[in-house]
Amino acid sequence: MQTPGPAAVELVDITKRFGRVVACDGVDLALQRGRIHGILGENGAGKSTLMKVLIGLVHPDRGEVIIDGQSVTITDPIDAAGKGIGMVHQHFSVVDALTVWENIALGDVGRLDPAAVRDRVGDLSRHYGLAIEPDARVGDLPAGMRQRVEILKCLRRDPHVVVFDEPTSVLTPAESEQLFDALRRVVDEEGRAVALVSHKLEEIRHATDTITIMRQGSVVERIATADSDAASLARAMVGRWVSLRTERAALGLGIEEAATVDDDVDDEPADARDVLELVGVSARGGDGRVLLDDLSFEVRAGEILGVAGVEGNGQRELGDLLSSLAPISAGEVRVDGRPVRCGVAGAMSRAGIAVVPEDRHDSGCVLEMTVAENLFLAEPERIAPRGVIDRRRMNDAAIELIERFAISCEGPDSPLWSLSGGNQQRVVLARELSHEPKVLIAAQPTRGLDVGAIEYMSDQLRLAAETGVAVLLISTELEEILDLADRIVVLSRGRVAGEMTRRDLDLERLGLLMGGADVSEPAP
Amino acid sequence: MTDIVAQPAENSPDEILAATRGRHLVIGEVVGLYVLSIAAALVLAGLLVAVTGGSAADVFNALLDGSVRNPGRWGLTLGAAAPLLLVALGTIVNSRAGLVNIGQEGQLLIGAAFATYVGVRLPGPGPIVVVALCGAGIIGGALWAGIAGGLRYWRGVPEVLSTLLMVIIAAQAVGYGLKNEGLLLSAAGNRANRNQVSEQLASDTRIPRLTWFGNEFPTTVFLAIALAALVAFALARTIPGFRLRMLGQNPRTAQRAGVGATRYGMGSMLISGGFAGLAGATMLAGGDFGNYQLVPGFSTNIGWTGLLVALVARERAVAAIAVAFTFAGLRTGSGFLAATGVERKITDVVQALLVLALLIPPAVLYIRERRRALNAAKERV
Amino acid sequence: MGAVWDVLTNEVTYSSAVRFAALLLFAASGEWVAERAGTLNISVEGMLLSGAFASAVSIDLVDSMWLALLIGALAGLLLSTVQANLSHRLPADQFVVGLTINILVLGLVGFLDDGLDPSVAGAGVVSVPLLSDIPLIGPALFAQSWPLYLVYPLVPAMWWLVYRTRWGLEVRAAGEDPNSADVSGIRVNARRRQSIYLVGLTSGLGGAYFVLGAVGSFEDSIIGGRGFIAIAAVIFGGWTLKGSVAGCVLFGAVVSFRLSLPQQGYDALGTELLQALPYIVTIAGMAMFAHRVRPPAALAKPFLRGLK
Repeated sequence: MQTPGPAAVELVDITKRFGRVVACDGVDLALQRGRIHGILGENGAGKSTLMKVLIGLVHPDRGEVIIDGQSVTITDPIDAAGKGIGMVHQHFSVVDALTVWENIALGDVGRLDPAAVRDRVGDLSRHYGLAIEPDARVGDLPAGMRQRVEILKCLRRDPHVVVFDEPTSVLTPAESEQLFDALRRVVDEEGRAVALVSHKLEEIRHATDTITIMRQGSVVERIATADSDAASLARAMVGRWVSLRTERAALGLGIEEAATVDDDVDDEPADARDVLELVGVSARGGDGRVLLDDLSFEVRAGEILGVAGVEGNGQRELGDLLSSLAPISAGEVRVDGRPVRCGVAGAMSRAGIAVVPEDRHDSGCVLEMTVAENLFLAEPERIAPRGVIDRRRMNDAAIELIERFAISCEGPDSPLWSLSGGNQQRVVLARELSHEPKVLIAAQPTRGLDVGAIEYMSDQLRLAAETGVAVLLISTELEEILDLADRIVVLSRGRVAGEMTRRDLDLERLGLLMGGADVSEPAP
Repeated sequence: MTDIVAQPAENSPDEILAATRGRHLVIGEVVGLYVLSIAAALVLAGLLVAVTGGSAADVFNALLDGSVRNPGRWGLTLGAAAPLLLVALGTIVNSRAGLVNIGQEGQLLIGAAFATYVGVRLPGPGPIVVVALCGAGIIGGALWAGIAGGLRYWRGVPEVLSTLLMVIIAAQAVGYGLKNEGLLLSAAGNRANRNQVSEQLASDTRIPRLTWFGNEFPTTVFLAIALAALVAFALARTIPGFRLRMLGQNPRTAQRAGVGATRYGMGSMLISGGFAGLAGATMLAGGDFGNYQLVPGFSTNIGWTGLLVALVARERAVAAIAVAFTFAGLRTGSGFLAATGVERKITDVVQALLVLALLIPPAVLYIRERRRALNAAKERV
Repeated sequence: MGAVWDVLTNEVTYSSAVRFAALLLFAASGEWVAERAGTLNISVEGMLLSGAFASAVSIDLVDSMWLALLIGALAGLLLSTVQANLSHRLPADQFVVGLTINILVLGLVGFLDDGLDPSVAGAGVVSVPLLSDIPLIGPALFAQSWPLYLVYPLVPAMWWLVYRTRWGLEVRAAGEDPNSADVSGIRVNARRRQSIYLVGLTSGLGGAYFVLGAVGSFEDSIIGGRGFIAIAAVIFGGWTLKGSVAGCVLFGAVVSFRLSLPQQGYDALGTELLQALPYIVTIAGMAMFAHRVRPPAALAKPFLRGLK
C-alpha cells in the first residue's frame, strides 16, 4: 500500500436531523488520496445521509466540508462535481430514454457539444477498459452496462473523490472483482480518493484500505482493513454480539463461508409435491423486448427455491407476473396443478400466491391508507360482512395481526407512511401470510432493511417453509440466497440458466451462470 | 444505501409528521391562509369591477340580494344548487378512482336530451314518467361518459381530452336533435324556423316543488343531499368504495389485490356520467331551468360549475353541499347585477378566481409540512 | 360528391386550412416542448384566447402590428406563469389549474369585451414571389397575411431548442426520468416551468396571429376549443414535432373543410355534424394512434422532491 496522500476531502462534525431523528451526529470523515476508504454500516446507519451531504443533495445542520484546507458549501450535485466530488449511485442516475453520451453530458454546464462528449466517452472507456457505445439508448442496455455509464458519467468530470454506493448488487462475483481491480487502479495510478459504501462486511474487508464503521448516525470505529476481523467488525456494525453463522447473510459475509455445507440444511422431504409451476413462460415488454424467455421451474411444498441472478435479468418481471401485474405471451402458471390466469387483477392472489414485492411502495401497499386498511386490502370481505366495513371488527383483526407480527406503530389507524420501512414490510408480510397462502414469493425482501429487520424476515421465510408453504425467494444478493435457499436456479436473460441444490453447491459454476455463460452440467 | 428517490426511508422524516403536526400546524395558520387567499381573490375581483367603472359594494349587495336576501331568492338558489351538487358528486367518485373527467357539461346535456325524449313521449301516470325520465337521464349521461371511458381503456386516449372534446360534440348533437321532430323538436305549433324548442313536459310529469317560507324549490334538493350522504358513506365504508379508493391511490397495489383497473375505472366513469345525466334530467323536470323544455344552451354551465364545486370541496361529498350552495348563490345573485351596470360575467371571473385562490392554501400547507419534516432542527433530541 | 371535388380543387380551402393549421401549430409546437418536459397544459386554450383578446384590444391603442402581436404573446405568458407556478412550484393539480384558467379567461374576456368594437385592423397580405405561384398550395402557404409566416421559423426553432441545446437535453430528462435528472443536478421543476412559459408565449402569439392575421375580428368564441385540438395533435403525433405538425395540418384541414363545404352550397351533412366534425376527427385520430405511441415517461406526473 502506498503512503496515503493528503486528505482530498474532509467532513468535520457533520450533523443532520430529520425532525426528531438524528441521521448523522457529529461525524468526522477524512478521505485521502491514494486510498480506498470503506464506509461500513447496516441500512439506516446514516452512511447514505453522510454521502448525500458530500454530493450536495442534503445540507447539514452543522459541520463543515473541507476541500484542500478550505471550508466549502456544496449546494447541489453539479456544484459537487465542480469541486471534484463524484458519486456512482446505487440505483443509478441515468435516464433510460436518452443515449449514453446524452446521459454523460447531463449535469454539465455550458454549450452542448455532442462531438466533444462522444470523444471523451471514447477516451474514457478505452482508458478504463469499460467499452461502451456512445449512441446506444441506455434503456436498452443490461444492468452491468448501465453501471458503466454511471461510472463514466462520474469519472468524466475528473473527480478527486469518487464515492461508490453499494455497487455490487448488479454485478456477478466475477464482475465485482473486476470493479475492485478498476478501483484499485483508479486509486493507485491516478491518486484519487475512493469511498466504498456498503453494508457487506466481506466486500469491505476485501477491497478497502481502511474502514470507518457507522452505527445509528455516529462513527463507532475506525480501523485499518489489514487489522480488522469479521467478528469485531460485525459487532461494531450492529452494536451487539452477533453470530457470524446465523447472521452472515445480513452482514454480507463470506459467500465462500456460506458455501460450505451446513449441518442444518435439510434434506428435501421425499414426498414434496410441486405447488407452483411455471411452464414455458414468456413475456414481452411494451416495446417488444423479451423479458421472460421460455421460463420453466417449479417450487415444492416446504422448500425455499432461490432465484439468483444479476439485476435486470427478469427478476422484476417475474415478480410482477406472479403479482397479477403483467400478462404473458406464452406458457402457463400452475398452482397445485391448476392453471392461473396471468395479468388478471387478483387472480394470483386468489390462487393462493402471496407476494412480498421488491418495492412495497410501488405495489405492496397504499401509503395513504391506514395500517388496518392495508392489512385487508385483498380480502375486505373478512372485515365487512354484508358489504359494509365494520370498524370494530377491522380494528380488532388489525390489532391481532399487529401483535402477531410485532409491527411497531401508533395504532391500526396510523397512516402507513408514518411507519418505518421495516415495519411497512412487516405489514405487507402480515397481510400476505394471513391468507394462509400456498405459495409465498419474496422479491428482494430485505432490501433497505437493517440487520434486525433482515433477521426477522429471514426467520419468517424459514417458518413459512416449515409450515409447508412453497417459498420462492428472488434476490440479487447471493448471500441471502445461500443463506436461505434449499435449491437454487439462476435467472439469466429471462430464462433459467442452470440449477443446483444447496447441498451440491458449485460456487464457480453459479458465478458463471449468473454472468450469462452457457455452462452445462459438469461431468459426474 | 436506500433509494435517493423521495420515499419514506428508514427513520423517515414523514414518520415524524404525525407527531409534529399538532405542534407546528396551528389551526390559526390554516384558517389564516384560507382567509388570505379568499380575500385576495375578492380584492382582485373588486379591482376588476372598479376598473370597469362599477362599484364593488353595489355588486356585493346585488349578489346578496339576488342569492338569499330578497324574497323567494334562496329557493331559487337551492334549485340551482341541486344539479351542481349532483354533478359534483359524480366528479368526486371519479376523482377518487384517479380519473380525470371534465366533460360533465356534455354528459349533463345528453342526459337532459334523453330525459326530454322519454318525458315527452312516455305514456302513463305522472310519477312513473318522472322516474323514467330521470332514469333515462342517468343512462344518457353514463353513456356519454362511457364512450370516453372506453376510449381510454381500449384505445389509450386520455380521458381529460376526450371528455372535453365531447362536450362540444354533445352541444352539436343536441342542437341537431332539436331540429328534428322525430327526436327532440316540439311538434306542436308552427313556430318560426329558428326556434329549436322541445315539447314541454306535461304538468303531471314534473318534479314536485315545495314552498317553504315563501321560497319555492324542487324536491330534487333532498334527493341531492341524500345522495351526497350516500356517496360519502359508500366511499368510506363499503367494499366497492374501498376498492375505488385503492385504485385511485395506488393502481398497481390495487391490481394485485384484485381491483381490475378497467372494471372499476369504467364503472366510476359511468357513475360520474350518470350523476351528470341525472342533474340534466332533474334540471329539465325541476322547473328552474328552461320552463320544462329543452333548448340549445340548456346546460348553462352547470356542468362546469359543478366540476369546480367538487374541486373546491376537495373531493369530500359532504363539503360539496355547502360549496354547491355558495356557487349557486353566485349564480342566482348575478341575476341582480343588471341594475348595477356591471356585466354578469363578473361572477364567472369571481368563481374562477375563488377556485384558484382555494387551490393555494392546501398546496402551501403541503409543502410546508414536507419542508418542516425534512429540515426541522428546532428540538434537541 | 361533386361538392367535395369542388372543395378540394379550390384554393380557398387550402388557404383556410393553412390558416387554421397555423393557429394549431403555434400552440402545439410550444405544448410539444412542455409535454416533453412532463407537463400537460389544458390551459393552452386560455392562453390562445388571452393572446387573441389582448392583441385585439391593443391594436386600437398602439398603431403597430408588431407591438400588438408582442402584447398577445405576453398575455399568454402572463397566464402561463399562473399555470407554471401553481402546478410546478406549488403542488396544485395541473388539470384543475388548467381548467380553471380556461374558465377564468373566458369569463374575463366576456366581462371586458362588452364595449369592444369587434372588427379590428387586420395585417396585410404579403405574398412570397415565385413560391406563391405554385398551384393550389402555393398561395395557401406563401400568400397569407404576414403574421402567419412567423410559425415557419418557430417550428424548427422549437426542434433546435429541444435537441440541440443543453436546456433541451435537461427538459427531456425532466420529462422522462425526473428523479435521475434531479440526482444529476438538474432543476426539474424549473425546467418544467420554463417550458410552460414557452408555450404561453407561443400560444399567446398564436391567438394574436389568428385575430390579426386570419380572422380580422374578435369574438368570445374565436378560439372555440381549438386549443384542445392542438394538445390532441401532440398526442396524435406521438410526441414528435413532425407528428404534431402532421396532426395540426390534418385537423386544420378538417376545420377548413367543414367551413368550405357549406360555402360551396353543400349542406346535406347538416351544420351540426360539420361543426362537430373537427372534434370527432380529433378523437378518432387519437383513438387510432394514441395507444401505439409512447408518451414521455413522467408526463403529467408532478415532481415533488426538493421543489426547486
